[in-house]
Amino acid sequence: MDSASFWFVLFGLTAAAVSNFSRSSVWRSIVLFVATIVFLGLLAHSLIVFLPLMGFLLFGYGCLLLLEHGWSRALAWIVTAVVLIYIWLKKYTFLPETIFLHRFYLTLGLSYIFFRVLQLLIDMGENREKPHLKFGAYLLYTLNFTTFISGPIQRYDEFARDQFAAEPIPLGSRVVGLQLERIVRGFFKVNVLAMLFNMVRVDALAQMYQPLPASLKLYAAFRLCIIYPLFLYANFSGYIDIVISLARLMRVRLPENFDRPFSASSVIDFWNRWHITLSNWLKAYVFNPLLVALMRRISSLAVQPFLAVFCFFVTFFLIGLWHGRTSEFIVFGVVTGGGMSINKLWQIGLARAMGRKGYRELAKRPIYVAFGRGLNYIWFAFTLFWFWGDWRQIDAIFSALRPAEWLGVWMAAWLAVTVTLAMWEWLRAALLSIRTTSGPVLVNRYALVVYASVLGLTALVITVLLNQPAPPIVYKAF
Amino acid sequence: MTRPNAANAERPKEAKLERRDWMWLPILSVLTICLLAGSVEWYARRVFARLPTAGENCLVVNDPSDGARGIPNCVVREKIPEGQVMEYRFNSSGYRDNADFGPKSADTYRIVMVGTSVAAGFRVPQEQTVAALLPADLSQRTGRKVEVYNQGLPLQTTNSIARHLNDAIAANPDMILWIVSPLDISYSAMAERRDAVGRREGANPRNPEAGDWSSIKAVFATESFQTSMATIFSHTRTAILLKDLLYESPSQYVQAALMGADYKKEFLQSGSSAEWLRELKEFDSSAADIEGQARKAGIPLVAVLVPDRTQAAMISMMDECPKGFDPYKLGRELRSIIVSHGGTYVDILPQFRTVPNPQLGYFAIDGHPNAYGQAMIARFLTNQLAGLPIPAMSAAAQPQAGLQPRQ
Repeated sequence: MDSASFWFVLFGLTAAAVSNFSRSSVWRSIVLFVATIVFLGLLAHSLIVFLPLMGFLLFGYGCLLLLEHGWSRALAWIVTAVVLIYIWLKKYTFLPETIFLHRFYLTLGLSYIFFRVLQLLIDMGENREKPHLKFGAYLLYTLNFTTFISGPIQRYDEFARDQFAAEPIPLGSRVVGLQLERIVRGFFKVNVLAMLFNMVRVDALAQMYQPLPASLKLYAAFRLCIIYPLFLYANFSGYIDIVISLARLMRVRLPENFDRPFSASSVIDFWNRWHITLSNWLKAYVFNPLLVALMRRISSLAVQPFLAVFCFFVTFFLIGLWHGRTSEFIVFGVVTGGGMSINKLWQIGLARAMGRKGYRELAKRPIYVAFGRGLNYIWFAFTLFWFWGDWRQIDAIFSALRPAEWLGVWMAAWLAVTVTLAMWEWLRAALLSIRTTSGPVLVNRYALVVYASVLGLTALVITVLLNQPAPPIVYKAF
Repeated sequence: MTRPNAANAERPKEAKLERRDWMWLPILSVLTICLLAGSVEWYARRVFARLPTAGENCLVVNDPSDGARGIPNCVVREKIPEGQVMEYRFNSSGYRDNADFGPKSADTYRIVMVGTSVAAGFRVPQEQTVAALLPADLSQRTGRKVEVYNQGLPLQTTNSIARHLNDAIAANPDMILWIVSPLDISYSAMAERRDAVGRREGANPRNPEAGDWSSIKAVFATESFQTSMATIFSHTRTAILLKDLLYESPSQYVQAALMGADYKKEFLQSGSSAEWLRELKEFDSSAADIEGQARKAGIPLVAVLVPDRTQAAMISMMDECPKGFDPYKLGRELRSIIVSHGGTYVDILPQFRTVPNPQLGYFAIDGHPNAYGQAMIARFLTNQLAGLPIPAMSAAAQPQAGLQPRQ
């Protein structure tokens, strides 16, 4: 149930169907609560493994009550305590092993609960007029089964707006159809596309270890360089497609987490389109407050543009750290933050050299956009080596080829990705330009039914054929 | 805060479907599914055609006194879905060889190859089998004329190989080369499986022409709905087409094989189960018999383990192969058994690491080595055999205990 399996989809659809027996918010909340309890029960059969998670939630709620009763001065201490407890429960490897709980317990979903709890605490601490949050609503929000495993990270006010609305958002037959099509699409992405991409990656990785001729190793390295972002996108966005649709069928609108990320022509643009809810959360609660605080202290106009460079680094370094407990993720944070900072410096430098207007015109040129898109993709793929690999793998991979060969591989990959993405963007625009009065032909209801039927049949056939457990969702580990 | 997906945003906003769409959309969906499924199955049937006859038609499988044996002078054509049309010709002794044993000339080094279907080169044309390729390869490497007689027969147990070894000895060879495949070890399990196949012959849609209604009914009567659907689907040509494509990936193939209910994976697992140890003991007993006969006749016996497709894939995957599995374990166990009875074991397993995707040397569904695989095995064997210090084969090398040429 902790993956985009057929049974998870069936479970979600059943919950959605029962939820719609009544329009009453009480009924819908009861159904969501029961579905969440059943879902958690299916994840682990012993209550004991949930105790640390429950402790974390209770601590969060206790702090919330304190803040509600005027302890807002303690906000910084409370936030620090929540972060430390989170780090302790997640067993970050830089802490001594002896201080951890050694009994097995469930940390699945903890990272996303962490964001929700922090958001509630910070909002409550900064705005005393927030209404009292009942414990039931708190649990419903933090444990909601549609967002439990891998997000998206939804704000409480957005959740409450739909979940507790006296008049729920409409759910017509067209909306239902669109959600079903999106579920099929998500199922296909996770169970077929991601499976195929992962297959390519594992095989290429295995070939990097083999004593093979240089040409074969170069080809394996090329595949290894370009495949993981595609896998991660299919795996994560497919799951998000499913949960957003299931939630919509339960009359709750979850925020979008992806917006065609590989069409981004810069690293900064990319993070506006990839894992959007995480980026937005950190922008709201780390980047903006940090930037404002620095700007208050440093008034020099010459320095101020560079403050954003620093804030970008800190924010995206934290994003990297959040992803994992080991030292690999420190490097992932450094390269991710570094990429953002360098991109910002590039923007500042070009704007100074060419003038703002000149830079804007340059940034619109198709060739600049195409190469920027390719470079962004390749940079992301490079950073992900520290996301999916451990030190043993990374060492074996990078020592399999000489530095000059690696440089050649990355250059070839950049060129190949640039051309492929440019062709894809052109093809997509051309296809979407075929329109009738009701919109593009490719997204009308008949085309969607054909599309969903083909994807659904393919996914079903391959699932039955391989008879393997559904591929795990990568982001559930975080 | 978030930007909606552009494609989603462009979709029409009406909340309800028009009445006619309640009829047309399901019809469109069903038509799409039928068209897609039908066209893929049609294409797969053209590409993965098969003949109703197979090499096994030249075998007597269930002879209680003799185990499996070949029908002398039998000729049959075969085409498995993944393979090409080919012909099996059995000689007058009931082995898949062009010629019967003749007198050996003095300058010829004669090898008799024993084993099961891998040794017999089942599923590939005779001229592409290890037995056909090895003489030329070995002659080139050693400078001696080498001839190989193939006495491999499918569906033999190690006991029946031992019973038939006098045929090999009668050929007056300089070496008996025993090709062992992982399945050969599981004597008891294989016998049970063969019995089970015999019992269920009418109950399972084993013939991929899944049009046999009674077979389908029998599957539904014996298995759950989900399993029945999966069983029936697995026998369509679409399934063969997809498996053929997907199983090109070693990681995918290994995962699928290890998940398969029919696959005996004990020989790959790092730890040994009691059942596996029992099977190994039975094999050890047969191996002692075979090696005893060879020793008595003064003929060196050389055994080699030819991995199955999963094992070959795992060897190539090295550190990325699933945890808890060791593709070299069986090789070590086999070496220990063979050497303990005075034979020689040649290890070709490490050489599978030197090939980019060695599992492509096997048919994806049938599992036997294909022509590429037979050539690969022949090359690896040549590398190992040419390096053996057998004076009769290589004058420059020194003799080794247990490998003396026949007196």
